[in-house]
Amino acid sequence: MIDQIPTAFLFFAAALVLFALPNGKIRAAFLLLVPVLAAYQIWMLEAGVHSQVGFFGFTLDLMRVDKLSRVFALIFAIAAFLSNLYAWHVRDTVQQVAALLYAGSAIGAVFAGDLITLFFYWEGTAIASVFLIWARRTEGAYNTGMRYLVIQIGSGVVLLAGAALVYRETGTIAFEAMTLGSVGTWLIFLSFGVKAAFPLLHNWLQDSYPAATVTGTVILSAFTTKLAIYALARGFAGTEILIYIGAIMTLFPIFFAEIENDLRRVLAYSLNNQLGFMVVGIGIGTEMALNGTAAHAFAHILYKSLLFMSVGAVLYRTGTSKASELGGLYRTMPLTAILCLVGAASISAFPLFSGFVTKSLIIDQTAGAHYQIIWAILVFASAGVLSHSGIKIPFFTFFAHDSGMRPKEAPIHMLLAMGIIAFLCIGIGVYPDPLYALLPYEVEFHPYTAGHVITQLQLLAFALLAFGVLMRTGIHPPEIRAINLDVDWSYRRLFPALLSRISAVVLFVWQSVTRFGHRHKNNIIDRLYHSHGPEGRMAQVWPTGSMVLWIAILLGVTLIVNFMS
Amino acid sequence: MDKHPNDNPDTYPRLGRMMMWVDKPGSANKIFWALAIFCGLLFLADFAYEKHGHFDVEYIPGFYGIYGFVMFTALILLAKGLRVLIKRPEDYYGDKAVDREDYPEAELDKVNYDD
Repeated sequence: MIDQIPTAFLFFAAALVLFALPNGKIRAAFLLLVPVLAAYQIWMLEAGVHSQVGFFGFTLDLMRVDKLSRVFALIFAIAAFLSNLYAWHVRDTVQQVAALLYAGSAIGAVFAGDLITLFFYWEGTAIASVFLIWARRTEGAYNTGMRYLVIQIGSGVVLLAGAALVYRETGTIAFEAMTLGSVGTWLIFLSFGVKAAFPLLHNWLQDSYPAATVTGTVILSAFTTKLAIYALARGFAGTEILIYIGAIMTLFPIFFAEIENDLRRVLAYSLNNQLGFMVVGIGIGTEMALNGTAAHAFAHILYKSLLFMSVGAVLYRTGTSKASELGGLYRTMPLTAILCLVGAASISAFPLFSGFVTKSLIIDQTAGAHYQIIWAILVFASAGVLSHSGIKIPFFTFFAHDSGMRPKEAPIHMLLAMGIIAFLCIGIGVYPDPLYALLPYEVEFHPYTAGHVITQLQLLAFALLAFGVLMRTGIHPPEIRAINLDVDWSYRRLFPALLSRISAVVLFVWQSVTRFGHRHKNNIIDRLYHSHGPEGRMAQVWPTGSMVLWIAILLGVTLIVNFMS
Repeated sequence: MDKHPNDNPDTYPRLGRMMMWVDKPGSANKIFWALAIFCGLLFLADFAYEKHGHFDVEYIPGFYGIYGFVMFTALILLAKGLRVLIKRPEDYYGDKAVDREDYPEAELDKVNYDD
């Protein structure tokens, strides 16, 4: 029976059932059960299109199952399970429902076989996820959530516009591979680009993720951006411009991450950088490169969740995630520290950890396609990842100078969630074959050659050495309480300032024009008053004199008219 | 969270006590030099296998190590420069921004390790 229902509906139905359950351990257990059921269903689904429904003359494909959609749906279900385990202690119904609807929408979007279904779920992820930010229930979070919502909904509107244009052109709403060329495809590309956090469109990510709740950020980090990666892989594989966009995406966030103080924002920049690798893989577009993108998305969701969870646990225990306030926490949170280090090693792509066996697929394909500069950027960006996610996150939280804080170890359910992920990160790194088997195409790649291992270790070890040298010489920038400007400055400062300037100018012009008009009118009235008013010259002969004159003129005119006709 | 009032390392979790080795005087030095030696070995390892690079630069001995060291340093220096340009006080966007707010206590469970 379960294979008859679209996976997304499982989550939506569960969100309804949730209200009937008492808010406590039963609900928390139910929140774990739903993703398990979903994962089982996704695992058992056969390839093909299931669940078609009619919609205003269109046929919507709710479940298009193939290897590409399956691997993304599967990791989404796993991520939902792990983040719900991490959020076991949360008794906030808003967050519970949002987590279910969000995961359901993301999985629904991945299985969408047409652009209309995709649009509905696309907006679904936006609306469900914003509640994870608002659930913080502060004014700052409310404002951030509004900015997030405007951008996310905007992305969906652009998608719908693009879909309409594509339909008019091709007569089909099927969500298949597209080529950039028409306005419609460009709009769809732009819409995907917003959610994938393309350069200049990226800042909603770093703005909103640190504003969510402890557990909300973990959930947010898994879905929206990877949904966009899936959509790009489905729609625009082999689109060359993506190679350059992706390369820029790997590059610029590493500088911002380096000087950012809020560690959850550091991780958001880092997330942006990791998306860049995936986007490059999509741009290369070969079967192996797409395998690399899917594999990297899979591994990335896990280790990024782990990193967000470890920083979240610190926030949960200390009330802050700012690097300038933390340090030395390994003393009393040793397990969290070690689990964080596993996440750091995975994202930095140390051999035997998951990032190594997935990222090298993409970099290898980039080199194989002879994009030398792009390759050099990706290798540089790999060292950059080590810098902020590999070193900065664990080092300035758990080591470095002693902040004097002695928080208790993270609660057991958080440790369990992090432990499972750490196990998976190492498991994938040591034995990648099961992950490779899930990928959309046949994998012919051996990550553990002497060359791969030694060159990667060289890159990382020498970069670590550089860090050591910079720390010992005091050149490494200290963590300070400050924020950094990014693109969000444009819509948080520049545009509002411009708007108030423009409105001031418009107001001034309007007032001047109306004042001029008034003055002119008043002048005429004054002058008329002057001549015709009770005190005026004309008024001296007003009652009789002028009357006689006017009658005489009128009589004359009548006579002339009569005479002429 | 404020500094812990009655701090006693003997009562830390055992794992935490074991890890306190890293804060002993001289340990940082040992780690640094061990890393340096490891880097040296990795450099030498470059001569021990047959390279299959896609680009000429990959055949330079220790290329990845040199590139990693130089680019990491460049990254840090450039980031420092960037900070001069874009650093702003935490209240730059006003007091109604997340960066200025304390995280709501109701969502937290602040506990000291010995509570």
